[in-house]
Amino acid sequence: MAEVRLKDVVKIYPQLEKDKKNKKKTNLEVTEKGVVAVQQFNIDIKDKEFIVLVGPSGCGKSTTLRMIAGLEEITEGELYIDGELMNAVAPKDRDIAMVFQSYALYPHMTVYENMAYSLKIKHLPKDEIRRKVEEAADILDIRKYLDRKPKALSGGQRQRVAIGRAIVRNPKVLLMDEPLSNLDAKLRNQMRAELLKLQNRIQTTIVYVTHDQVEAMTLGDRIVVMKDGYIQQIGTPQEVFNHPANTFVAGFIGTPQMNFFEGELVREGDTYSVRYKDYVVKLSDNKAKRLAENNVESQSVTFGVRPDQLVVGEEGLNAEVEVSEMMGTSSHLHAKLDGKDVVVIVPNKGDETTDMTNIKLSYAGNMVHVFSKEDGHNLEIGK
Amino acid sequence: MNRKNKIASIQLAVLRVLVYAIIIFLCFLCLFFFYLLIINASRTNNQLQRGFTLIPGGNFLRNFKNAFTDSSIQIPRGMVNSFIVAAGSAVCTTYFSALTAYGIYVYNFKLKKLAYTFIIAVMMIPTQVSAVGFVQLAYKYGLNNKLWVLIAPSIAAPAVFFYMYQYLKATLPLDIVEASRIDGSSEFVTFNRIVLPIMKPAIAVQMIFSFVAAWNNYFLPALLLTKSEKKTVPIMIAQLRSADYSKFDMGKVYMFILLAILPVIVVYVFLSKSIIKGVTSGSVKG
Repeated sequence: MAEVRLKDVVKIYPQLEKDKKNKKKTNLEVTEKGVVAVQQFNIDIKDKEFIVLVGPSGCGKSTTLRMIAGLEEITEGELYIDGELMNAVAPKDRDIAMVFQSYALYPHMTVYENMAYSLKIKHLPKDEIRRKVEEAADILDIRKYLDRKPKALSGGQRQRVAIGRAIVRNPKVLLMDEPLSNLDAKLRNQMRAELLKLQNRIQTTIVYVTHDQVEAMTLGDRIVVMKDGYIQQIGTPQEVFNHPANTFVAGFIGTPQMNFFEGELVREGDTYSVRYKDYVVKLSDNKAKRLAENNVESQSVTFGVRPDQLVVGEEGLNAEVEVSEMMGTSSHLHAKLDGKDVVVIVPNKGDETTDMTNIKLSYAGNMVHVFSKEDGHNLEIGK
Repeated sequence: MNRKNKIASIQLAVLRVLVYAIIIFLCFLCLFFFYLLIINASRTNNQLQRGFTLIPGGNFLRNFKNAFTDSSIQIPRGMVNSFIVAAGSAVCTTYFSALTAYGIYVYNFKLKKLAYTFIIAVMMIPTQVSAVGFVQLAYKYGLNNKLWVLIAPSIAAPAVFFYMYQYLKATLPLDIVEASRIDGSSEFVTFNRIVLPIMKPAIAVQMIFSFVAAWNNYFLPALLLTKSEKKTVPIMIAQLRSADYSKFDMGKVYMFILLAILPVIVVYVFLSKSIIKGVTSGSVKG
């Protein structure tokens, strides 16, 4: 129940002497002060918003979360929770709760004691503690395990206890650090749905870290995509998916990955078209309008088309299918197009079998994403 | 095939007999002297002069009473003193070693590595070397004949620290510490309520070891304790040696020795399970 504001937050880890000598390879920027794990992080998280930080490992998402929690010091910048500056406040005084990837349950305490621990420290009366713990246990359906030790619980149950421990004291902000990544695939899907329900019930601000873009898309009100310490894009799942800010976001969000081609963007007045070899596709009016607003001229570009937007038909680009993966309702075709790997999703048409070795691929003008060839930014959005 | 099996089973039987024989012999070596001690403690002085036997005598209670009420060597007083020193040392050693190990394991600070290396280096210095300075210091400030002077140095126990550190490394994920911080507990509360219970097995083992070590310690108490009402059991036993044997009731002497080792035996008999558990813990991550 609070707003969280990060202003120019930077995290620099001092570099060890031996790493300096070895010139240890890292994608992160290295300055005189050390390795920059998080660069100029700016975001206003609204009250009751579900924010998901997503990115590949080592992108700084967990570090950002730990800075909000107070487990890592903020090197530069300011962190506000509910309008109060929190940089120097100890984690215990920030009124936040956190769910860890490893659950981090206290092994010597029962589920009840685990959940009651934070309330006991606040010296709440016993009956109030009991009421609150039972309330949280009911939400998570773990009431029957209250006097068990964590050892005697399954992974999914431990996860629930960890969440229960976090929500029991009604924190201002709930932080979750890859809470589902230790669960098996089926349980993960189930817990994901339950997290959404939970968010509706407890009505609190949630900051959630994951490397799984499906989790990010399904859970987040807004998604923060990060790479090498830099924010790549902040937006709703729709925005991030439909208007990726650059080639990294376009490639990271959505499975299978977006296909990229090297081609030419041609401007004729207010209309734009994308040419790949001899195959020319006119861009939709909306796209053309945004490109024109940014004064984009004819140039070489990288353009991307998602696998489900490539159409197998009578005309288009020639490709040779190497492998076909049957996924149930659809098939994923892995093809070679001019020596490059391309993935195409074709719907499953039941008994109907067609020869899928040499195919022709086409795409519509409203489904093409054009990126600058130099720095990969989306030309529709501008820098 | 059948023949081969028969030979193999005979070989196995012979091997087993051999192994058990060796184990029994080793047990005999270890336990025989304790047995003899108990036998001797139950015999009169006269019986003892005549040589040794394996059959217990009937003087056990009498010897016990004599030993307990002896005026020159006050064994009950000694046992109380020893117990105070041993229990105090055991508690201080384990608690503060655990605290130090926790500090070095959990916190990142400059010179952390140096601190660790320094503590390990102290482990290499024998007590006898540092004792010279310690005894001088104690006498200079008039701290001889005070039991707490024997307890206080046990706070710094590098070997126990090392054990605790290894144990923490194997059993305590840092996430748990962080979870506790976020749950709102201060650093001390985290240590006392979360970390100490997790370290219980390690603490139990080290408590036993340091209790026994302090109980049996002769070196420092002998240098520091001169008043008879402050003496611990090992010093009293040592006094027996300087006494004139011909005048002494040997049954009583054996009873003294039996009383001196009694707490140690009790500790091992009742806690051997957790001693073994503690020695092997940490080797297998569970």
